[in-house]
Amino acid sequence: MANHKLSLIVNGHTEQLLVSSNTTLLHALRDHLGLMGTKNGCEAGECGACTVLLDGEPVNSCLVLAVELDGREITTIEGLSSNGQLTPLQQAFADLNAVQCGYCTPGMLMASTALLNRNPRPTEVDIQKALVGNLCRCTGYQRIIDAVIKASEQGSAQ
Amino acid sequence: MLARPGLPEFEYIKAQSPQEVFELMKENGSDLKLLMGGTDLFVQMRDRNGGPAFLLDVKGLPDMQEISFDKKKGLRLGAAVSLNNISKHPDLQKHYPVLCQAADTVGNYQLRNRATLGGNICNASPSADMSPAALVYKGSVILESPRGERELTLEQFWTGPGKTALKEDEYLKTIQFPSPPAGAAGKYRKLGRSKMGDLAIVGVAVLGYSDSEVPAGLRFRIGINSTAPTAYRVPPVEEFLTQNNLTDDILYQAAEDAMDISAPIEDQRASASYQKKMVRNLVNKTLKEIWEILK
Amino acid sequence: MTITESGLIGKSVKRTDGLDKITGCAVFVDDIQFGPNLLHSRLVRSPYPHALIKNIDTKKAEALPGVRAVVTGKDIEARLGLYLIDRPIFASDRARYYGEPVAGVVATSEQIAVEAAALVEVDYEILPAIYDPVEAAQEDAPLLHPDLGDYTVANFIFPQPGTNISEHFKIRKGDAEASLASCAAVAEGRFRLPPIEHVPLETHTSIALSEKTGQITLWASSQSPFAMRDMIAQSLGISHNNLRVIAPLVGGGFGGKAGVTMEACAVVMAQAVEGRPVKLRFTREEEFVGTSVRQSLVSDIKVGCDADGILQAMELTYYFGGGAYNDYGVNIARAAGYSCTGPYDVPNVKADSLCVYTNYPVGSAMRGFGMPEIHWGLEQIMDRLAEEISMDPVEFRRLNCVRTGDEIVSGMNMTPIDLEACLDKVTKAIRWDKKEAPTAPNKKRGKGIAIMWKAPAMPPNPGSAAVVRFNEDATINVEVGGQELGQGTFTVVAQIAADVLGIPYENATVSYPIDTKYSPYEWQTVASRLTWSMGNAVKAAAEDARFQILETVAAHWDEEIEDLTIKDGLVISFKSEREMPLDKMVIYGLPNENYEGWKGGPVVGRGHFMPTYVTNLDPETGQGTRAVVHYTVGAQAVDLEVDLETGQLEVLNIASVYDVGRAINPDLIMTQIEGGAVHGMSSAFEALKFNEAGEVINPSFVDYRIATIADIPRKIHGDFVETPIDDGPWGARGVGEHVMVQTAPAIANAIYDAVGIRFSDLPLSADKIYLALDEKESQ
Repeated sequence: MANHKLSLIVNGHTEQLLVSSNTTLLHALRDHLGLMGTKNGCEAGECGACTVLLDGEPVNSCLVLAVELDGREITTIEGLSSNGQLTPLQQAFADLNAVQCGYCTPGMLMASTALLNRNPRPTEVDIQKALVGNLCRCTGYQRIIDAVIKASEQGSAQ
Repeated sequence: MLARPGLPEFEYIKAQSPQEVFELMKENGSDLKLLMGGTDLFVQMRDRNGGPAFLLDVKGLPDMQEISFDKKKGLRLGAAVSLNNISKHPDLQKHYPVLCQAADTVGNYQLRNRATLGGNICNASPSADMSPAALVYKGSVILESPRGERELTLEQFWTGPGKTALKEDEYLKTIQFPSPPAGAAGKYRKLGRSKMGDLAIVGVAVLGYSDSEVPAGLRFRIGINSTAPTAYRVPPVEEFLTQNNLTDDILYQAAEDAMDISAPIEDQRASASYQKKMVRNLVNKTLKEIWEILK
Repeated sequence: MTITESGLIGKSVKRTDGLDKITGCAVFVDDIQFGPNLLHSRLVRSPYPHALIKNIDTKKAEALPGVRAVVTGKDIEARLGLYLIDRPIFASDRARYYGEPVAGVVATSEQIAVEAAALVEVDYEILPAIYDPVEAAQEDAPLLHPDLGDYTVANFIFPQPGTNISEHFKIRKGDAEASLASCAAVAEGRFRLPPIEHVPLETHTSIALSEKTGQITLWASSQSPFAMRDMIAQSLGISHNNLRVIAPLVGGGFGGKAGVTMEACAVVMAQAVEGRPVKLRFTREEEFVGTSVRQSLVSDIKVGCDADGILQAMELTYYFGGGAYNDYGVNIARAAGYSCTGPYDVPNVKADSLCVYTNYPVGSAMRGFGMPEIHWGLEQIMDRLAEEISMDPVEFRRLNCVRTGDEIVSGMNMTPIDLEACLDKVTKAIRWDKKEAPTAPNKKRGKGIAIMWKAPAMPPNPGSAAVVRFNEDATINVEVGGQELGQGTFTVVAQIAADVLGIPYENATVSYPIDTKYSPYEWQTVASRLTWSMGNAVKAAAEDARFQILETVAAHWDEEIEDLTIKDGLVISFKSEREMPLDKMVIYGLPNENYEGWKGGPVVGRGHFMPTYVTNLDPETGQGTRAVVHYTVGAQAVDLEVDLETGQLEVLNIASVYDVGRAINPDLIMTQIEGGAVHGMSSAFEALKFNEAGEVINPSFVDYRIATIADIPRKIHGDFVETPIDDGPWGARGVGEHVMVQTAPAIANAIYDAVGIRFSDLPLSADKIYLALDEKESQ
């Protein structure tokens, strides 16, 4: 299999990559760039643990080929906070104990960050629609909904 | 056999022109498959631990991302338009709301950023959510080949579960819809095992509009999925509705007739008898809702 | 609810692991990087639920470039088990469930491992398979384990060689038969539950490295790093100090990562490729097919009361479908046996609780350990009996529920609890006395109640150890061997240590990952036992450190220890009002007068806890002085609607109240209650499904659906009461599992209240509910 050379802008930095055709964005992030915050939960687009932002829109990184993304912008959980400054959404997840085992959390945060970017004042139903592809077995979800609402009340996701 | 981790090996090619697509399709035959969103294809390739040697990405070809609406000519949607781009488009929300509603029920938000209308149509899954909506708007497909374009109705295009009338040298370029009838009201109602995000156990699209020529004063188009080898309309039921003064009983009778036409199979997702009854109940409920709007 | 003097016990401090988890810094096993030395592996699985393995040909697989080893059951005959050592690491002579590992392939890439696994050729001779535990318990059933009599077994488990019965626990108390004959009302029924999966978001993953020195390191997603080390070490004949288990944060466990699942496979494969780490990572599909399940259960229940509604007698038979190997499951049948009545005072009981081999996946621990299974039937039959004698289900439960000091079914006296207080609070929260209107004309609304009990189900003497280590600046590291699965145990032990030592909560750090080389011993993170047992050990360790500090300072000041305490990081004297900041002495000690020598030194507190008072039970009657350490009890009530057009349920409210003994961190208790309510609700709709050939047909999130964010109840009400126990830290006991034990029967009771239909078999589905409504209407 031939390798493809491409560049991705990941969390604001341009990264050069050499990947085979069957390398998904998930594997490119984890195995080529060492960004382990994005989780592999099903590789079928059903659980949302691998959600990242592609040009600002959430995608299941397990179902996107890296080779398709030359020049595109990716944001992962590692790109949310900087210099110890959490986003209001991260802060709300922490304040409301919307986290238990933490495995779904990066995907939840990325999907909800995108939601708040396109809809700064989501209703509970808006949040359910936006996060129905992010499974969580621990929390029972209510605190995740509450955290998104709390963050929305404080302004933006960023 | 269980699905494998990761994707099997293949070579990715980004198509530069329709001519290149035709050449590569001819050269590689079944070793090559066209890649749209990949949301179903990749899952299948993991499940089967195999797939084509070449994936030809056609999303970037001319017109594949087209969304153009003209009040007279109707709507043209490029095959690679993502489902989220359908559901959030103002023209579609205004003139083809059932398409938007259906698009919003597919999988989850992340998936819909990748999943395409063309992929949904070409998979020809009996449970595809876009199908009933596309049927009630009388969608047709434009297939491109070295011989030029041809147009097929969706009923002609879907030939069975997972089967289409696509020839070896053809690809789906555009899905086309005539202008909707003036004053039409419509709705896609879906029943899954979860409140959102599931495949359709039964999905029903109804489009109603005024027609003073018929006794009912209204016409309805009804599209149904998941309960036959392909998604389907129910012409005898639609005809029955036009010929009667509408009452709750007539609508219920129509829903029962639709139930009788449905032919679901028993599987782990739902029993056949449940699916049949849900065809009746969903058709009845959706008809009533549209009738309320129009009467 | 009261807060301790230091102010940390009873306070809802934030999670210690929160920041790691919201920033993507939290490390799970799959996130550890090993570099190019890492090898990948893939298991070859049996395509049949029951078959003899005639031959395994690995030549083609071994010949594939990049393959480093192929391991089969022929290479390693060892068996594993916690209570009954019956499970091979790789099946050698026979496969007993669909998906059982028969070989493992190690290769330089995942792709090559996948290709090589497909080249391993196995000849099978298909055997008749059996799935129903009642049929499997019969004498003429096909035998899964002809060698059952030769297996090593714990002294409180009673397998029946020559049958498929791996455990038979009996209760013979009073005369149930005679009593039932004279009861004013009797209710009787058979109830069934299918096997279900734990479904953690993180699939099972492990990496093993076998060094040339004989040292083996295993990185695993594990609730039980010490039990895992013990089981694998014993099975493979490795000394415990040569097997090191490192267990980073666990991405969801629910019992599915207790004991050993697939980790021994990784160790055996690593032994075949000395010096190179081997990763074994389950796909989601493998997680559904190749890990342990909650056991299926068929329960036959007969219960009677007198004319006043007072329970008189019960006859019970529990057939647990233990699956192919019952190394862990035998103790579930036992636990269900000694708690067989549920939280009721019943003088006459005859019960038989059986664990039975079947050709389903390995049955094992899952959140509640036998209790969700038995309460499914018990809590519905109690409603039926109440109806028989025209009594309100809540009144019936209030009349009959177990109380502190009662002699319960196993003969022990009930430890302190207040179930009536739970009932009071929960019925108030759900407005039990109000019949409320449905929200739409096509819906019917109903309410249901269910109560529960559960004791930690474990050997009599599982231990916990802890170390509290001071740093120079008087911050501390709390070292434990219990695991953080999301339940918040690290937060609770940090609170406990900080409270005892009079330092700010933020100054206590829990040392993780858990590493059997450095972490103090912990039996397992199961049974809702950590707040209680590990909490006791941490409290003791902190008290030990505190004593060391006070002893040194008292000597330095020439005062009595009793006159000193530690507050806000200062040692203070009530008597002299002197103060000493901890950071001046916890490492360097304190000088004697005129610096003529020093006293004290680095403060390291140690503590341990082990229950010493659990007694054995008579094998014929199940009676003894103390079957368990204690019980946790609780009540749940559900308010729901049934959509008459679709059969779909809309859960409007789940109210839960549990007696937690003492709430160390109230908000973390609420997170368990909320998560448990949704887990419990979801479990009522879940089933691992099999076709006639015994193959799993729903190994994906598409067809094994768990509750999504759109499915949750409109409201989840949580609360607790506090009746302290004698042997827990500040009276606290666990609540992590209890929160989902009776949700399914509470839902079933609410459905009956709404539409008058009872469902005795799980799973529920809209399909099933609608067709039952349809049938009822046509009658």
